[in-house]
Amino acid sequence: MPLELVDTAALEDFSRRDPGAVRAVYRAYGGLVYAVAYRVLGRPDLAEEATQQTFVRAWQAADRLDPNRDPGPWLATIAKRAALDIHRREARRKTNPLDDVAADHPAVITLPPDMDTLDSVWQVRRAIEALPPDEAAIVRLQHLDGITHTEIAAKLGIALGTVKSRSHRAHTKLAALLGHLREPAS
Amino acid sequence: MMKRVSKAERWALITGGRTRPLVPHEATEVSLLADLLADPSTWAEPRAGLEEEVVHAVANDAPTLHLATEPQPAPPSRWHRRAAIIGGAAAAAIIMVALVAGTFARHTQARIEYDAQLEATALVPGAHASAGVLHSAAGFRVVLDAHDLAPLPPGHYYEAWLKKADGTAVPIGTFSSSQDYVTLWAGASPDQFPIMTVTIEATDNNQASSGQVVLVGQLHPV
Repeated sequence: MPLELVDTAALEDFSRRDPGAVRAVYRAYGGLVYAVAYRVLGRPDLAEEATQQTFVRAWQAADRLDPNRDPGPWLATIAKRAALDIHRREARRKTNPLDDVAADHPAVITLPPDMDTLDSVWQVRRAIEALPPDEAAIVRLQHLDGITHTEIAAKLGIALGTVKSRSHRAHTKLAALLGHLREPAS
Repeated sequence: MMKRVSKAERWALITGGRTRPLVPHEATEVSLLADLLADPSTWAEPRAGLEEEVVHAVANDAPTLHLATEPQPAPPSRWHRRAAIIGGAAAAAIIMVALVAGTFARHTQARIEYDAQLEATALVPGAHASAGVLHSAAGFRVVLDAHDLAPLPPGHYYEAWLKKADGTAVPIGTFSSSQDYVTLWAGASPDQFPIMTVTIEATDNNQASSGQVVLVGQLHPV
């Protein structure tokens, strides 16, 4: 995906373990890392722990970072491993017998998403972050909140036509960023 | 009350003005995208304060890494001097390593030529270790006395390394627990590889270091 989230100079600084570069890399990738961690762990506190571990591990292995290449896949791998490590740790915690807890109890162990799904989470999140905020907001209202164009227009105080055009642009960009989900425009 | 948009309607948003039916692999991709766009984790935002916490966590790790990248001049320390400084528990550990290493020394006619105190990184706060290195005709025998390394899940193990300041590393052995002394062997001299680290590795057929450093320290000539 041809998106530059952080400049080469910052990556060079990070690869040399310049502490000043940590903030730039976090601001570029922190949301992506957190989204993947949250998908695995389903709890904000654990997702934060995984995010923190991801950047510490990346920092420790910074000499392997090639500043001329997109660090996204490298960070995504570290993030997935950090989150899955925490998932395994949490799964080992002592729990009550299953008979004693409700099926929806948070202590009930669930399997983490597979690696392919986590890659998809990363890619979709990255595509969303590439959208202008006003378009991303509409996509969120449509898909996460599940509300209609008319309701979005009322909620945001903008014209229905504006909602539709932003929605169309946003989904076209998402399709372009994520592959081939639409037919080419005629 | 707001109307919930159906999944079919959300599919239509994603596929736009499609004029032909989706083939199966396209339908799978559209379904995945629709699911991910409706998943709260896709939109989850970290707390504003997390940035500072991440920067702080990395900064706390930095002195350890500084040691790994820029070798420090060797202080004129000896076993007994360091023991007096670091206190009872750690001193006892050092003495035990010295005793064990001394046993080896008597058997091999070797002597302790280097020692190190290894400190924990943020991955295993509270862990610590000491190490003694004996030189013999076979190479360098490293006796590690580590404490409070957490048991690892199946498929993971600890691996010890000697490193140069430029990051070049040689593996010196693997182990699974800090409940006993660990004997490791190095073919490389601590003169050239003066930094000792312990990492967590997975049985993934990847021989490179994972970078998950849990202990690090500088070997000093005794």
